[in-house]
Amino acid sequence: MTTAASFLDVQGLSKSFGAEKVLEDATFRLAERQTLSVLGRSGCGKTTLLKLLAGLHEPDGGSILRRGADITRVPVERRDVVYLYQEPLLFPHLSVFDNVAFGLRLRHVEADRVQKDVTHMLESLDLLDQGDKAPHQLSGGQRQRVSFGRALIVSPSLLLLDEPFSSLDAETRTQMQVLFKRVAALYAITAIFVTHDLKEALIVGDAMATIRSGRLTAYGSKQAFVDDPESGVGSEVDFWESLKGGRYGNDQPV
Amino acid sequence: MLATVVAGLSVLPFLVLALLSVAGPWEFPDLLPTRLRFDRWTAVLSGDSALAPCLGLSLLVSTIVALLATSAGFVTARAVADHPRRRLLMLLAYLPFAASPVILGVCLLYVYIRLGLVATVAGVVLSHTIFAYAFAVVFWVPFWNPEKLAYEDLVRTLGGTRGHAYRHVILPLSKEPVLVCFLQTFLISWFQYGLTLLVGGGKVDTLPLRVYAYVGEANLGYAAVASSLLLLPPLVLSWLNRRVIGRLA
Amino acid sequence: MSSRSSFEPIGLGLFLLLTVFPVAASLLYAALYGVGAVGLLSHGVTLDHWRRVATSREVWASVALSLYVATAVVALTALLALPLALALRTRLESGFLPYILALPLAMPGTVAAVLALQLLSGAGLLSRLAFRVGLTDGVSAFPSPVHDVALLGVVAVHTALALPFFVFLFVNFYTSERVDAFRTLAGCLGASRVQGLLRVALPILLRRAAPSLTLLFVVALGSFEVPLLLGRQTPQMLSVLTYRKYSLFDVAQKPEAYILALGYAVLVLGLVAMVFRGKRFGHEV
Repeated sequence: MTTAASFLDVQGLSKSFGAEKVLEDATFRLAERQTLSVLGRSGCGKTTLLKLLAGLHEPDGGSILRRGADITRVPVERRDVVYLYQEPLLFPHLSVFDNVAFGLRLRHVEADRVQKDVTHMLESLDLLDQGDKAPHQLSGGQRQRVSFGRALIVSPSLLLLDEPFSSLDAETRTQMQVLFKRVAALYAITAIFVTHDLKEALIVGDAMATIRSGRLTAYGSKQAFVDDPESGVGSEVDFWESLKGGRYGNDQPV
Repeated sequence: MLATVVAGLSVLPFLVLALLSVAGPWEFPDLLPTRLRFDRWTAVLSGDSALAPCLGLSLLVSTIVALLATSAGFVTARAVADHPRRRLLMLLAYLPFAASPVILGVCLLYVYIRLGLVATVAGVVLSHTIFAYAFAVVFWVPFWNPEKLAYEDLVRTLGGTRGHAYRHVILPLSKEPVLVCFLQTFLISWFQYGLTLLVGGGKVDTLPLRVYAYVGEANLGYAAVASSLLLLPPLVLSWLNRRVIGRLA
Repeated sequence: MSSRSSFEPIGLGLFLLLTVFPVAASLLYAALYGVGAVGLLSHGVTLDHWRRVATSREVWASVALSLYVATAVVALTALLALPLALALRTRLESGFLPYILALPLAMPGTVAAVLALQLLSGAGLLSRLAFRVGLTDGVSAFPSPVHDVALLGVVAVHTALALPFFVFLFVNFYTSERVDAFRTLAGCLGASRVQGLLRVALPILLRRAAPSLTLLFVVALGSFEVPLLLGRQTPQMLSVLTYRKYSLFDVAQKPEAYILALGYAVLVLGLVAMVFRGKRFGHEV
């Protein structure tokens, strides 16, 4: 893993809703241009973590530092952190092109530039011929790609993804994981990627963390994660190994 | 067969009403009037009839009520949809909507009297608005589903303000429901009789009051003309409703 | 869910001003007036008005009449709308019939009452038809449901007004609740066509429509415009009686009007709260 000075430094982040502690004392670091995979079941506090980082919730305690500057109380719209929902949430009244251009137009970027940047973005997402379509005309995978493009084009300092592929079929999902890796590298993105899929977490992440009932565990390296019996990698490997050994094969008497 | 009967029964009241509005002498046991007269209608259309100002007043009152109720309901529903005590607030919102307007009107009349609003157009508008607004709140709460609230958040994480979220996303998405809510609240006010009678003290002469006045004078021909005028907006609006919604969908 | 906005105080402020305050104020005022704590002829707190209302034949007759009308309207509407919806289901999914049946939805109670007068009164069109075919021998021989004891005209008008809406509602529920699939399933389990209809389709549809039917009950219970034109002098439905007691020159009757209003409001509150039980509104946090 990288030893560069950490880009994002989260210390003791906590949040309760009423009596329920949804997130307790979350602490981790993330280097620039890296993707942190956060693995956890639904309802474990993953979404709350992301919303705290995005500024959509206020934390009860703890701090968020970006390049050493405290951004814990910076309002959402000036935080430069984009949060992507599970659903692509494309604006239904705008075309694909206008959806991607949305953030640039908010910033009053001149029209020529918008045209150039959006075209370039659509190209890198294999959506070049889809620009004029309405969101409802796209497939699930295409919609999710447009949602990426809309977020990436404003070059956020941090991209937060909340189980973005969970509603896609297995094949599209695999394609999207590869595409995400490629685009994240291309646009030099720092990201936190939340998922409940072990394999997806390992494919997409450069660094690993897990959340169980509000408690976040960050791993020093991917290997440390794989070696931890709690991570579930071990039992997964055992299962596939056992297939090789023929324990579930046809020669097994029933 | 059944479909034809149902269709016939659906259209029949409108035909009877139209006939009644142009009926001359129509004695028992004639099934049709012996003569038709159109002077009631020409009087209304030329503005000579007492009905013309009532029509104008009704249009004015209902338009104001619909504007107030739709916009206030939109704003309130946003707050209600996102509120931890949503259930209680929704129950409260249903109260005036479910309670008999006349009965709630009787209970509130003291307040109207103290505010000097009895027998004024403003008082009638306020009394209608209380009911139309309750309807609008109930109407708008489902609009503010998690998706709409998520759109709002999304625009802000993309660097937009709350104002941007409304201008570029929420308002464009609410065009159609705004129209529907406006029409519905317009009609709530347009048909209102009991409250207008009570709060208007008989001085605010809207179309429904005219209908009852004509029936009281045993003047069914004019009651039918006033009734036809009363039916015009809902018919036009429901047609428009289907067309506009058909196009937007 | 999301961070607080300026909508919150404005929206809730409007709600307090336009809904909570009027409802609370009117209930409070009615309660105070009913025990003589406020009002023109107030001689201090007393239960006399309550006693008079509680022992008044007129009041109890009015309560009974209103409950009867509301029950009859709901029962008739369900009884007629269900078979109509089942019979016309396919015809109502496309074509011109839905447009035609949507026409009466635009009809307000006021206009329907005027038409009912024209159709159903002693000298009305039905009476003329009956006379023409020799069923009756004059205006007075026709059993007119206008100004009658049973308020049949009022029941008929409310039922006719509600019917198209409930036909559409049942047709919608038939699709949305996948009643066809359940009927097929019942058939596979050995139910006959009639059993499938009575034990599967009807319970599903009625249960789904129960809140709407309760609201129809409330609307009919509080109806004012229609009984004002088609009802009798005595007994009168609750809204009409309340209004009359309120607007009489006899100021002594006013406390009774307020007691009636309060009683009615409590009754409706109970019904609405019942509809609300178990109903969820939008999303949970």
